[in-house]
Amino acid sequence: MSGICRPRLAEERKQWRKDHPFGFYAKPIKAPDGSMNLMEWEVGIPGKEGTPWEGGLYKLTMTFPEDYPSKPPKCKFVPPLFHPNVYPSGTEKSWKPAITIKQIVLGVQALLNDPNVNDPAQSEAYTMFKNDKVAYERRVRQQARENVPK
Amino acid sequence: MSSDYEYSDDEEYNEYDDDEEAMDVEDGSTSSEEDVEMDVYDDDIKVVSEARKAYEVDYRPLTHQQVKDLMVADIEYISTIFGVGSDVAALLLRHMDWNKDRLTEKYMDDAFSISIAAGISPVPKPSHSGPDRSKRVTRSSKSSKKIEQATISEPFLCPVCFDDTATDTLGLSCGHIFCTGCWAMYTVSKIRDEGEHRVLCMAENCGVVALNPFVHKVLSDDEDTCARYDELLVRNYVACNKNLKYCPFPSCDRSVSCPTASSRSALSTIVPTVSCGADPKHKFCFGCSIDGDHRPVLCVVARMWLKKCRDDSETANWIKSNTKECSKCQSTIEKNGGCNHMTCKKCKYEFCWVCMGPWAEHGTAWYSCNRYDDKSGVEARDAQSKSRASLERYLHYYNRWANHEQSAKLSVELYMKTEKKMEEMQLTTDLTWIEVQFMKKAVDIVENCRTTLKWTYAMAYYLENGNQKAMFEDNQRDLERAVEDLSELLEQPIESETIPVLRQKVTDKSVYVQKRNEILLEDTAKGYLEERWKWNVVVDDL
Repeated sequence: MSGICRPRLAEERKQWRKDHPFGFYAKPIKAPDGSMNLMEWEVGIPGKEGTPWEGGLYKLTMTFPEDYPSKPPKCKFVPPLFHPNVYPSGTEKSWKPAITIKQIVLGVQALLNDPNVNDPAQSEAYTMFKNDKVAYERRVRQQARENVPK
Repeated sequence: MSSDYEYSDDEEYNEYDDDEEAMDVEDGSTSSEEDVEMDVYDDDIKVVSEARKAYEVDYRPLTHQQVKDLMVADIEYISTIFGVGSDVAALLLRHMDWNKDRLTEKYMDDAFSISIAAGISPVPKPSHSGPDRSKRVTRSSKSSKKIEQATISEPFLCPVCFDDTATDTLGLSCGHIFCTGCWAMYTVSKIRDEGEHRVLCMAENCGVVALNPFVHKVLSDDEDTCARYDELLVRNYVACNKNLKYCPFPSCDRSVSCPTASSRSALSTIVPTVSCGADPKHKFCFGCSIDGDHRPVLCVVARMWLKKCRDDSETANWIKSNTKECSKCQSTIEKNGGCNHMTCKKCKYEFCWVCMGPWAEHGTAWYSCNRYDDKSGVEARDAQSKSRASLERYLHYYNRWANHEQSAKLSVELYMKTEKKMEEMQLTTDLTWIEVQFMKKAVDIVENCRTTLKWTYAMAYYLENGNQKAMFEDNQRDLERAVEDLSELLEQPIESETIPVLRQKVTDKSVYVQKRNEILLEDTAKGYLEERWKWNVVVDDL
């Protein structure tokens, strides 16, 4: 594989710094020695206004494989998120090399309040979402309060 | 899928098939030199057969090239009817899983929407598209023409690698342009890593699929991946076509066409054992994934039996050898101490582990455990054996089934040893190569018939008791006895003086064994058609 992974990530970083959606952040993780690892990013996604997710800022790490952008990055919420789908759909079949980081994070934000019930990944959140919407929303609101940015 | 379709498709296929078959007959049905060689030695012990046997199915082995030709014929057919290029026709067919009739129907209905669904044309966009995708080049709308001009005036920036120095760019009918390097990397990863023959445009949410010439152009430097792509297309064609199946043997690229076994209902009356023709060992069942020959037993029954063997045989063997049952309540008991005085945990019955009789008789002057025919002991053992009958029954069939498998393997080993010996004899005596080949043929027959015998035990296990089963078991017995006789002959030491006699004996016996095998297979095959076989379990359709 030719090394388009790093140049592309550098460009993504440049683009992001030039313009990114309000309330979001996305940056490569800094190693303890101060060097930057482009292959791993930490990302903050705010809950959409007017949804139970509002007010919270949800952190996730994006790990880029060497064959990015042919292959999608792996996204993981830290700490684990209470949500029926832990993985956004962007990491699966529907991946296209032209999808930018900005599009991924916007996609994840949209997915927060619009879970894909056909692809459950977490039994607790999934069953609560299916059986008891009120309790589910209460739980999501509580999670939003726990994730208010300091 | 409608049944109408299947019917018409089959019919058409058969026509094609027959033509080919006729050609084959003219060729003398021996296409390769090896076959000719084999046939010469077949003659001395071959049972003369003119017509197709009831236990054989009509099928045609196909080479990779022949399958490709079939595929091309389908593509050309669609291409002429629709008046589109063959690449577009191929993509339409792939989209409809190579179902020509359904494709024709849908295409005549609404050619536009099926072209979009297949990924041939892009989804039409409203003229004012989102501002974030300035690289989009849409030919139809006025506003984007301006953008096109704008992109031409400024240097091209590939949206995937952000390289603004790339000069070679490519795009599909949707107009999303990327640099050639990115296309190549993406296409290779799709084909190599994901084994995917559908290479979509790299733009987000764009469903346009690359046509074959595009993929070939992108991969022009990478012959391996190009070949892999072509293979994936053929594999997809075979996977979608019910009449075709790939040979399951590793690295064999041949396939078999067998329209008679393509429907599931057909499998309740036939056992479609086929061979791709590359090697006599490449024999498999067209109806299921069990490799090798599982005649005479049906696919469903064979699968049921294998599942039972996987689940039960070890457990049953362990229970049989390590436990006994309480003669009063039939609880299964494992002996865990040295003393023979057993007390059933469940019903508190006290008995002797050795003779199974009541313990009361052991502590007194009546002690008779040492006598075999003591009345209470016999009764207790009878009760035990009755309750174990089903377990015993299963093990009876299982052991014979497994034994034939084992023996078949051993006789092949024996053949290897014999072959060495025969080679030696060719050097030391004046025997020719031909004169010692009878052994090979006989071992092949033994192995073949042991496979049949093996599966007859699976069949017998599920057959309902009655006259039909008795007749089946008679055939089984005759074949088994003949096979054992032949097996024994093969074990005899080979001395150069006795070879002519041995050769005669083995040849005669081989003919007889083969005849018995045919009788058994013929009878079971006919039985399926006549619905003579009654099962003692529910044999549901796959």
